[in-house]
Amino acid sequence: MSDKFRLKEWQELPLGGVVPEGGNSRYYETGTWRTIRPVWDAENCINCLTCWVFCPEDAIILKDGTTKTGKPRKEVAEINYFHCKGCGLCARECLVNKKGKKTVIEMIAEVS
Amino acid sequence: MSKTVAITGAGAMSEAMRQMNPDVVPAFPITPSTQVVEDFSQFIADGKVDTELIPVESEHSAMSACIGAAAAGGRVMTATSSAGMALMWEMLYIAASMRQPIVMTLINRALSAPINIHADHSDSMGARDAGWIQLYSENNQEAYDNLIMAPRIAEHMDVRLPVMVCMDGFIISHCVQTMQTEEDDAVKAFIGEFQATYPVLDTGNPATWGALDLQDYYIEHKRAQHMAMQHAKRVIREVSDDFYKTFGRQYDLFESYQLDDAERVIIAINSIAGEIKEVVDERRAKGDKVGLLKIRSFRPFPYTEIAKALEGVKVVTVLDRSESMGAYGPLFGEIRSALYDVAEKPLVYNRMYGLGGRDLFMEDIDKLFEENKSYLEAKKVETVFDYLNVRGG
Repeated sequence: MSDKFRLKEWQELPLGGVVPEGGNSRYYETGTWRTIRPVWDAENCINCLTCWVFCPEDAIILKDGTTKTGKPRKEVAEINYFHCKGCGLCARECLVNKKGKKTVIEMIAEVS
Repeated sequence: MSKTVAITGAGAMSEAMRQMNPDVVPAFPITPSTQVVEDFSQFIADGKVDTELIPVESEHSAMSACIGAAAAGGRVMTATSSAGMALMWEMLYIAASMRQPIVMTLINRALSAPINIHADHSDSMGARDAGWIQLYSENNQEAYDNLIMAPRIAEHMDVRLPVMVCMDGFIISHCVQTMQTEEDDAVKAFIGEFQATYPVLDTGNPATWGALDLQDYYIEHKRAQHMAMQHAKRVIREVSDDFYKTFGRQYDLFESYQLDDAERVIIAINSIAGEIKEVVDERRAKGDKVGLLKIRSFRPFPYTEIAKALEGVKVVTVLDRSESMGAYGPLFGEIRSALYDVAEKPLVYNRMYGLGGRDLFMEDIDKLFEENKSYLEAKKVETVFDYLNVRGG
């Protein structure tokens, strides 16, 4: 564990419990809260990015890709399990899942 | 050059605020502190200060706005009293724990019920654990001087805690006394420029105030706050010394009045100290070795300093002007605790007086000195706790 995560002594703390920097929630592991985990199937995914729009944790990671005709687009790369809390919104909103014929995001029980 | 003026206590407070010209004053007027806000808003209307006055819908909102304005990076002041401060309760703790150097005039007044608007210390004594520095004032002069010292104490980087400057409702707030005011430039120079810490308006350096703080850090933050209060004891003395050098009026954590060879001492807070001094003078003139210890800083409480000042004293009478139902008076608890470390412990006892503004006259104080004389002769405290001037005994 880096020094950033060492529990500090009272003399080292910024005044009044202030968090003196922005954007540091990225260092906070919320993945441990998960009881169910989304499993993403790249084969069936149409890269509509609906899951990315709905994810409250920004845990759907995108990458640069191209359409069949060669136009640049964003595609789903992976799910960030460090931040994913397992809320299941991605699986519920997934357009392919909604059609009911194939499954792109499946929620499965988390095993410790 | 200082100027001699005849002014009410509330007037003296608003005059000090005018001279200090704070950035923001959120306020919800409540008797008897109303006059402070009324006078100060007149100064704003007349263009004598450029303070942003925020008229709010409640005292809870007043303190909330104080916290917000202080977090934004401004020098912030307000004034309140009694039930008004009671409604601030939740936010008092937040102001102190977020280490906001807010300065507040508190005009001491009873809490309801029954409804009463007169002087006692129920409001501030109830808030003694909120984390605010509490300075008490015997008269208009001390209230004015305390208020001018308050920003320097609150804003000191070893402290960064809010300060409430207390004075007795009506007895001081609404009575005209002659006192010295200082020149505007001298006051401004004395308090200096406000230094903000992590101001939220500094968008280039984002910071989060009031974040969740659970089992892993809360107690460390409290420990740091405790240390700030310890530092405050030193800083109050440093600022008071500098005030003495600048303006010539001397203050300490408490006032020792005829204590050096005193055998019997009364300890009290706020305006009653004036009457006690008169009685001490009368008795001293007859060779009676009596004295007064007047508390100025109740938080932080100067335990060791008071223990030292009371060395050699044989009887201590502690006057409390606020009830702690089911317990002794709050001042008595502190004093008896301080005296535990004295090698030759004096007799010590507690008298409750003045609740809801009930007068305590000089002849009552004289009787107290007779009473503690009889205790000294008997070498025993007959009644540890009792009420003064209450019908039915």
